[in-house]
Amino acid sequence: MLDRKIAPEQTEIDTIDFVKPKTFEINKHVKLYHIDNLPNETARVDFYFDAGTTKGKRGVAALMNGLLLSGTAEKTSIQLHEEIDDLGGYYESGIGQENSIVTMYSLKENMLAILSILHHAISHVAFHPHEIEELINERRQKFKVSLEKVSFLAQRAFQERLFLDSTYGRITELSDFETISSDELQAFYNQYYLKGLKKVVVIGNFNQDAIDAIIDLCGKWVQPLQSDYSDSNKNLPGKYHLTKEGALQTAIRVGRTLFNKTHPDFEEFLILNTILGDYFGSRLMGNIREDKGYTYGIGSMVMELQHTGYFFIATEVGEEHREATLIEIQREFERLQHELVGEEELSLVKNYMLGQLLKSADGAYAMMDLHLSVEPFGMDLDYYNSTIDRIRNCTPQRIQELAIQYLDWQHMTVVSAG
Amino acid sequence: MIEFERFKLENGLRVIFHHDPTTPMAVVNTLYDVGARDESPDQTGFAHLFEHLMFGGSVNIPDFDEPLQRAGGESNAFTSNDITNYYNVLPAHNLETALWLESDRMLSLAFTPKNLEVQRNVVIEEFKQRYLNQPYGDVWLNLRPLAYKVHPYQWATIGKEIRHIEEAKMEDVRAFFTKHYTPANAILCIAGNFELKAVKDAVQKWYGEIPSGLKPARVLPSEPEQTSYREQQLERNVPASAFYYAFKMAERRNEGYYLADVLSDALGRDKSSRLYVALKKGKQLVSEIGAYITGSLDDGLLVISGKLNDGITFQQLDEALWEELDKMKSEPLPIEELKRLKVKLKTSREFEEQGLLNRAMNLCQYELLGDANGINEEAAIYDAIQPIHLQEMAIQLFQQNKLSVLKVNANPNA
Repeated sequence: MLDRKIAPEQTEIDTIDFVKPKTFEINKHVKLYHIDNLPNETARVDFYFDAGTTKGKRGVAALMNGLLLSGTAEKTSIQLHEEIDDLGGYYESGIGQENSIVTMYSLKENMLAILSILHHAISHVAFHPHEIEELINERRQKFKVSLEKVSFLAQRAFQERLFLDSTYGRITELSDFETISSDELQAFYNQYYLKGLKKVVVIGNFNQDAIDAIIDLCGKWVQPLQSDYSDSNKNLPGKYHLTKEGALQTAIRVGRTLFNKTHPDFEEFLILNTILGDYFGSRLMGNIREDKGYTYGIGSMVMELQHTGYFFIATEVGEEHREATLIEIQREFERLQHELVGEEELSLVKNYMLGQLLKSADGAYAMMDLHLSVEPFGMDLDYYNSTIDRIRNCTPQRIQELAIQYLDWQHMTVVSAG
Repeated sequence: MIEFERFKLENGLRVIFHHDPTTPMAVVNTLYDVGARDESPDQTGFAHLFEHLMFGGSVNIPDFDEPLQRAGGESNAFTSNDITNYYNVLPAHNLETALWLESDRMLSLAFTPKNLEVQRNVVIEEFKQRYLNQPYGDVWLNLRPLAYKVHPYQWATIGKEIRHIEEAKMEDVRAFFTKHYTPANAILCIAGNFELKAVKDAVQKWYGEIPSGLKPARVLPSEPEQTSYREQQLERNVPASAFYYAFKMAERRNEGYYLADVLSDALGRDKSSRLYVALKKGKQLVSEIGAYITGSLDDGLLVISGKLNDGITFQQLDEALWEELDKMKSEPLPIEELKRLKVKLKTSREFEEQGLLNRAMNLCQYELLGDANGINEEAAIYDAIQPIHLQEMAIQLFQQNKLSVLKVNANPNA
């Protein structure tokens, strides 16, 4: 008779195969990374430009990112999109504080033809006034819609306080949409796109000729000098509330500036972060969702920048639970500082993290993303072999030390909107 | 081509095994043939609330997630109007942990009052977060009852109103489980680098003894043919006026489903689509516009939605929109345009199929439709579509008297 109360035997993850991408130098500090050997015909190419939101006048970077396919002297934006769609291409562009990323997805057989259209589009943006005006109207309307969301209000107020007096703390204002000129966009484009390529990422079963062709295409865009980023960000501790009339929920952000992978405490802090709020069984989920029912979800995360990083908790709770939630978050910090985490819980979190790492290394796309999370810091996938050991050897005492050192409530920026 | 093997246990559980030698992970996906359409009109939101309760411990195991996380895995689920789907992704060598957990909650739940109380609150917060406290968040709560007068698609999976969730009782929860959560009403898919024999043995071991139960008969009121135009207007504190045009379309198994899908792509999927080019780039009437289908198993909707530019009226939009729809009805789609739509479909299918979890979920859904191999047959159905088929479908679909329109009027002071 099967005894259902007894769990099947589990085995631990022994090793993970990390497959490093091939690296090609476009110039001394601009590289192309390639992973092939895919079991299918899909392909992806990313271009990373030094055109993030910390560059240029406020608001210019995001608009320019949206204008990349707005038309050239020869082709309208509609024609460009038609040509890309004719070949089954899916174009995406995204922007962060330190990067603007242009991504193309397609079947392998069509990628080179699509990239040549993309190359023409990005190299010869014509800055048609009607395109600029249309994009500004669209973005202004989207921005107004976002202002109706408590999560957006909390996030921008948090970002301002997280990166006090720094371009990292910039947030868009409605007035930005009125003050950006075509000249400013063009100047930004010339500097950060036409001479701003930082790296290229290629996934797909391409041969050497194809890789050479991609390097040829984008070779002119490479940045001549490596760009520099701020490393002196400090958050403004303390509580701040933003009132939104009629809101049914309050959005909460609690966090502080911290560090990135280059810091010796980083990997162990990730274990602490997981225990606290980065998986379904975390303490914050267990307490604030599964015990009290205050929220649909709560999580904590660690974000990295070139020279720094930050930690934060995000949630949306019923309007009446705002103060109770903040008290519980603070209590969870204190529990981690005053009580050793049990061996059971710690071993569960370790196994969970190793399982997730195995998943993060499953297939070409996942493997490349893993590479992209170490590459900016001058590391390669060997880093994760040492991570496995770090995770295995971490002790309850070490978790407590880190909680005392980094989770001091007095150092936190606490923002709520609702 | 997605290869799979299929077998059935004596208790009626249908099992699909998909072998993928390239991955170190495994997926265990369970589809229950129950969704919001199976709820009674005075107890809506129940299938979804129940999905939450499925994580609150089963008859022999106090907590679902803990052992799975200890095995390096994670789990989640979703509820639609048609189905409830649970999935686990974990390292392949710990496959049995997922089978142990999933089979135990198919056997029976713990049904603790505390779990019910907490999950009621969690779902109420979800209701607020997704539907009530977001600009335009309540659109589907209003569009569904406008488009469906009889069929249970008239309510959203979250439910008609918060009160239905507040009033859910333990006896209702038990009855729901007994009726719908049986082997006969489920489809299981296991995907990963395994041998068929080992999968069969493990499934037999953990699921073989679960009592069969009866597959509940589904008798849903079918939606009568719509014969007149419907419109509803909402006043909301939002910065831009929004529109939702919903046309009735065929159910999932019908050939017309595929035609409507391609028509919606032609109208508003990409930045080369007709409505985007004509109404946004050309006439500058809208700041955004798109077209899509609801993809439901019973008769669905083809929806065109977007937001008006400042100073533009619904009347201007309506005229321009019908001009494009009438073009679809009066002229066959140029071959070049159809070719473009097909290559985009082919590309997106390739990307969708490269994920193990997607493959497992889709195999279950096609098996529910009648045959898991449907996953390998759809490409040919799309490929065979010709301009004349689309034109005929456009004539059939785009009729004023089969249309329901929801308009959200912006508050000028917002």
